[in-house]
Amino acid sequence: MSHSGEAASLKRKRPGSNPVTQSLPDAERAVLNVITSKENMGIWVRDIKKETNLSDTVVNKSLKSLLGKKLIKEFVNIQNKGRKHYMAMEFEPSKEVTGGAWYVEGNLDKGFINELKELCLRIISLQKVATVETVYDFLEKKKAVKVACTKQQIAEIVNSLVLDNEIIEVKSTGLGEYHSIPIGEQCYRIANVAGVDKGPKIGAMASIPCGMCPRISQCTPDGIISPRTCVYYKKWLDIDF
Amino acid sequence: MVTQHGIKLATYLVSTQWGAQNSKVLECLLRRGTLTLAQIVRFTELSRENVRQSLLVLIHQNCIQAFAIQREGGFGEAPKVITEYMPLFDNVIHIMRFPKFIQIVSEELGKECEEIFEGLLQHGRLPLGEIIDRHKQTSTQGNCSTDAVLETFNKLVNARFVERCPAPEPFLEPPAEDETPAKKRGAKTAKVSELPKTIEQRALAAAAPLDSVRFLVEIDNGSDIPEKANEEHPNDGKVGEKRKHGSLKSDGGLMGNHEKKEILWRANFEEFMRRLRHKACIANVRSRLGDDSRIVLSAVLELSRRSETKVKTESTASLSLDDIYDEVIKNEGGLGMNLERIRAALVQLGCEMPMIQIDETYSIDLKNIIDACQNEEVESIVLKRYGREAHRIFRLLSKAGHLLESHKIADATFVDKKDAIKILYKLWKDDYLQMEKVTIGGARQQFFLWKVNKGTLHEHVLDEMYHAALNLRLRIQHEQEQGKEILLVPREKLVGELGKKFKRLRKVRIILESCLMNLDDALMLFHDF
Repeated sequence: MSHSGEAASLKRKRPGSNPVTQSLPDAERAVLNVITSKENMGIWVRDIKKETNLSDTVVNKSLKSLLGKKLIKEFVNIQNKGRKHYMAMEFEPSKEVTGGAWYVEGNLDKGFINELKELCLRIISLQKVATVETVYDFLEKKKAVKVACTKQQIAEIVNSLVLDNEIIEVKSTGLGEYHSIPIGEQCYRIANVAGVDKGPKIGAMASIPCGMCPRISQCTPDGIISPRTCVYYKKWLDIDF
Repeated sequence: MVTQHGIKLATYLVSTQWGAQNSKVLECLLRRGTLTLAQIVRFTELSRENVRQSLLVLIHQNCIQAFAIQREGGFGEAPKVITEYMPLFDNVIHIMRFPKFIQIVSEELGKECEEIFEGLLQHGRLPLGEIIDRHKQTSTQGNCSTDAVLETFNKLVNARFVERCPAPEPFLEPPAEDETPAKKRGAKTAKVSELPKTIEQRALAAAAPLDSVRFLVEIDNGSDIPEKANEEHPNDGKVGEKRKHGSLKSDGGLMGNHEKKEILWRANFEEFMRRLRHKACIANVRSRLGDDSRIVLSAVLELSRRSETKVKTESTASLSLDDIYDEVIKNEGGLGMNLERIRAALVQLGCEMPMIQIDETYSIDLKNIIDACQNEEVESIVLKRYGREAHRIFRLLSKAGHLLESHKIADATFVDKKDAIKILYKLWKDDYLQMEKVTIGGARQQFFLWKVNKGTLHEHVLDEMYHAALNLRLRIQHEQEQGKEILLVPREKLVGELGKKFKRLRKVRIILESCLMNLDDALMLFHDF
């Protein structure tokens, strides 16, 4: 999806009442009706053929002509990027077929997501204690992002920051730093409390070769793969000497 | 929860400490569960005498508990009482932790206690008289009079670092009808106390000294009794009786008055586990929630320690805010705290704020903190092994705690749908996730649901950790063997190339050993806490 809402502002037209459709040849009208009936889900070419019982050539010709008349459009379905899908012009692809708000033409818009993540992180570290609302309001007020985001989208971004261990979820106590937030409300703060353990903690297992060894299940004391002959150990113990 | 690699590690530890024969007996018991002497002889193919000797050594080192039980006799024979031997897996693994235990004693009670305690660890179990004699001979510290040693020993007992040994061979009443030996192996996994106890659990319970005498030091009536010891004598009769009651195979009858001499002492691993557990909780809280929470938690733990009856205590005792405050200000950095800050820290620690602030009491959920520690450890493995996106997905599932659909997962974690499925599959293949396939209306409508099953996952991680710990130990041994000739060269000749090699050897050893210690912390986290 593009992050603009221009297409969405198009008025939905009543199917059937359109004088243009009346003047279409039968085959084209049948194809258009099938496509329109799928509304914002769109339909795959093969399914059109199956439902209309028309031959390949007729369907293809009709599609081409309908495309030329700007009555239908092609779009990328996230479930099946390779297949050709069509939708009537008056509909916007639904979330299921586009992949949701974070997809642009069937691809995850990672650049935008990361930008937004960083921005949210900066806002939360600025506010010390933040809720989804405060972050959203801040973004709105400063017009920090070029395209409009919904509160839902910001909530998703904040949630992924929690999953990344960048921020932590806390319940407001209403005391101290939390004074502006009602007691019990979900809020967020930067994960590493100032001065304590910078950076993510690496566990004991993850800091030794065995912790990330892809061959650990084949490793035995006297086998071909063993701690005595282990290449990962050799590499690990050879550095810095 | 004794896993395959856990058994391997335990066997290795015993074989390096007390030789191959003893480790063979232990391995046999760990793999097959509780056995009789005859069974061990049959399975290990060792001579009866050798097995008997090994059992004695292992019992002495607290790695095996014996118990007597009445079993049905075969074909018309009368039921007979036989002795069975059960392995104590945890105690074997504790061998690896002795340096940690010694350090705790040394930090808390000083050098002299450390010496006595170290001796006790080496010998497994000792009577008081021998402890005193041993200390007199070996001590490097100043005062070695019986009085002084006794006082030091008392300190150890009062801190609960040392306890009386369990009865050598308690007799179990014949099991009730519904208890089948099929349940045998679950001794350590059965957590819920309501479940019918396994034979092993009953044996441990029967062998344990009564709480009233567990930490009671009686002064023996040898030639050099200190004067003040007489004060405790009025108790003696009673205590002696209790002990007799606890241990049916008492040699008290023969020893008469000297029975008390037979009281053996050993290190109380439970207390050390409790301390290490508290330490782990405090460290986690400090890095997660900051210093205020750490100070409050350590104060609360200090206050509630005595009332804890088992290691895996779910939450601390309920304490009033005033008591917590009094303890907090005693702690380093706690002097400046006021009630408001303590309250805020308690809420951070997961306590509910009471509506009415009269008679305010708080109890901290320790299980929760341990869970957080375990999650952190597993997540860091996922991050290292499978990358950032997998880490995010794993955390999502682990937090959700229920089944989630592939597309939902991809959406919530901002991972491309195709990549997400690849990652999920990889995690599933390596047993980190559980998958369920749901088909609705024909093959085209197939959904994959995923979840983290903490129980099986933790068992899997624990087993890999045992494996890794064994690997570290083997590598240390390997490095030592490789550098054997360098270690034999006198110090002053270690220059140039040799010196470099020597330095490398030392560094490698330090790295490996410190990693092993850290890994052991993680092991305890998943097994003992």
